[in-house]
Amino acid sequence: MVKLFQHTFKYEYNWDSVTLAFWLRYPNPFASHVESVDVIDRYVDPKTGSLRTTRLIMKRGVLPKWGQGFIKNPEAYIIEESIINPKTQTMITRTKNITHARVMQVEEWQTFRVDPNNREFTQVKTEAKFVSKFGWGLTEKLEGFGLKRFTDSSLKSRKGMSYILERIREKQLLRGRKLMNVYSI
Amino acid sequence: MSQSIGVNCNELKKEYDACFNRWYSEKFLKGDPKPECEELFKKYRDCVLIAVKQKQIDKLLVEARKDDPFSSITEVNK
Repeated sequence: MVKLFQHTFKYEYNWDSVTLAFWLRYPNPFASHVESVDVIDRYVDPKTGSLRTTRLIMKRGVLPKWGQGFIKNPEAYIIEESIINPKTQTMITRTKNITHARVMQVEEWQTFRVDPNNREFTQVKTEAKFVSKFGWGLTEKLEGFGLKRFTDSSLKSRKGMSYILERIREKQLLRGRKLMNVYSI
Repeated sequence: MSQSIGVNCNELKKEYDACFNRWYSEKFLKGDPKPECEELFKKYRDCVLIAVKQKQIDKLLVEARKDDPFSSITEVNK
């Protein structure tokens, strides 16, 4: 049994800002459970000119009360892969958990493109898949829980991105008057 | 800025992130893909990989990285 999630959203910010916000999105007030973010690998593909990045994200307290009984380690690690082509203005990201994967594997794909109706806006398509191999009659419950949780957390992650985008805009406006570092949010 | 997994990697991360974010906005997005933060990245990454090993997630990470999600995606380059 696999549960799927699909969603399309529009940020009222240009693609350059949205992709920068993707790098800067932690910490933000809507992601207090994210403890660390590290770049594990990063390079520009000489053939395509695309930027490939692998990041490792550590979160805490991601399980429901009834799940804490069988998961001893509250740390959860997530691997985030991304590819950005600046010529086609396309960013594709894929995140998945690497710990507790037997209980539940959540795989999320996001595609960021320039909004075809407004060059100043950015369209984001999100797709996610939930697979539990846990068994014991809990698979259904876990996958249902994963889907519900994901719906809540994807709303939070959009709020977090919007918060960062607002900070970027403020700093860019300020920079017009005074030299400010836009990148240290 | 976000924290690093390794408490003693935070300074290196801060320097690298600042360099990368500037390069990303001012060079990469403007069509200049020549890397500029390689040395800072190497130092920072070496530190992170030690922390990853200490936390015993190095094997999980190697395993997870075997699956390249974009190997069959050509859409991004169209």
